[in-house]
Amino acid sequence: MIHVRGLEKHFGDLKVLQGIDLHIRQKEVVVIIGPSGSGKSTFLRCLNMLEEPTAGEITIDGQILTDRATNINHVREKVGMVFQLFNLFPHLTALQNITLAPRTVKRLREKEATDLGQQLLAKVGLADKAHSYPSQLSGGQQQRVAIARALAMQPRVMLFDEPTSALDPEMIGEVLAVMKDLAYEGMTMVVVTHEMGFAREVGDRLLMMDEGRIMEEGSPSEMFANPKHPRTQAFLSRIL
Amino acid sequence: MQMHWEVLARYYPLLVRGALDTLQFTTISVALGTLLGLFVALLRLSRNKPLRMIVSCYVEFFRGTPLLTQIMLIHFGLPRLLGYHPNTFFDAILALTLNSGAYIAEIFRGGIQSIERGQMEASRSLGMSYAQAMRYVILPQAVRRIIPPMVNEFIAMLKDSSLLAIISVNELMFRSMQISGRTFRPFEVYLFAALLYLVMTMTFSYVGSRVERRMAIDDSR
Ligand SMILES: Nc1ncnc2c1ncn2[C@@H]1O[C@H](COP(=O)(O)OP(=O)(O)OP(=O)(O)O)[C@@H](O)[C@H]1O
Ligand SMILES: [Mg+2]
Repeated sequence: MIHVRGLEKHFGDLKVLQGIDLHIRQKEVVVIIGPSGSGKSTFLRCLNMLEEPTAGEITIDGQILTDRATNINHVREKVGMVFQLFNLFPHLTALQNITLAPRTVKRLREKEATDLGQQLLAKVGLADKAHSYPSQLSGGQQQRVAIARALAMQPRVMLFDEPTSALDPEMIGEVLAVMKDLAYEGMTMVVVTHEMGFAREVGDRLLMMDEGRIMEEGSPSEMFANPKHPRTQAFLSRIL
Repeated sequence: MQMHWEVLARYYPLLVRGALDTLQFTTISVALGTLLGLFVALLRLSRNKPLRMIVSCYVEFFRGTPLLTQIMLIHFGLPRLLGYHPNTFFDAILALTLNSGAYIAEIFRGGIQSIERGQMEASRSLGMSYAQAMRYVILPQAVRRIIPPMVNEFIAMLKDSSLLAIISVNELMFRSMQISGRTFRPFEVYLFAALLYLVMTMTFSYVGSRVERRMAIDDSR
């Protein structure tokens, strides 16, 4: 479903991604861990072309993202993204946050878009918050709206960049619960997180990134039990 | 010195008429300047380097030279250069529009750049085009932030439009100069003109602060 080959990303002289090869199957949940600055966010952002790769090829669902002829807006419709700081639109209500893209990009009519929005709000447990503005919601609620907003475009893949790391501890659970539901429904997901409980429960594969490379990968339980690389050992011992 | 306020009894309708014309020139020019300014701001933020350079030159020129010079250049210079007949009304609007457009472009640019990068990224990640993201996400937020500087710009333009008197535009200042010359009562006439300017500027700054307070309430929702 997602094929990454020889992916590199440089910012000037800084080589943030130094050759990543990865194949993600449909319905797979891939969890990425790694120290700060190892390129996790940059990698995710390449997967929907928020960053333009310096070299390499990315294919999602048969479409070559790195090909200039590809309409990148169409690809992005199929790749949802959830950000660490939510990035909700503060001037719009929760419902309007969700319906904006379906209405403008997919040209859904107001009624259809609203029905879809209400349905998604119910799915993330916020049916009663449709008309609240982001500033009236808690962090956990905001992140759930952000997930609903991404789902509204009916993506084939969801990318999560540390979705719970800006949240107060008591709100982490509600967001992870929504993500677990998504995983069980068969959504293909790439998740950067240090929530190892989540990785163990729904992760099919764990990737350890370091200095712009995938240093080690395996099933979460196997990697937790006996990490091969000393840096993986050191990293896991800090977060487990 | 003895005051002769009775000249005002005779001439105040003409001066009030002039104030209304001042208001008209300012409103038309700032409205056109807003369209121009938005357009220029978007070009200044675009990826096209030559275009960016051209509009930067425009902005620098009109912000870096006196409005009086610009008025003279447009009224006397441009018709010569391009071989058309000067039209006072048209030249007045053109000069004020080009001048306010340059300032408003910078106001828009600042407003747009003050919106966090994540807003554009979230919009784009949902499949929206750059233009859609600007229209539905960035500009609606930027507009709230630029209302106070826009009110200031309007007030500045209202006062600076008095410079149009130099090319005999029949606005408040030009009428004051004429009436003062005819009656030899400069103090009474200019004081009254000053009061008319003050009434206009204070009205707009009051309205501006009301709007700003409304926005602040909206934002704290
Ligand atoms: N736009 C940019 N311009 C220049 N350097 C950048 C840019 N974006 C990221 N970097 C650099 O790239 C490196 C990797 O950043 P990235 O955000 O991908 O790391 P990360 O693994 O997500 O880290 P963290 O855990 O702190 O989020 C960092 O050194 C960062 O400073
Ligand atoms: Mg990161």
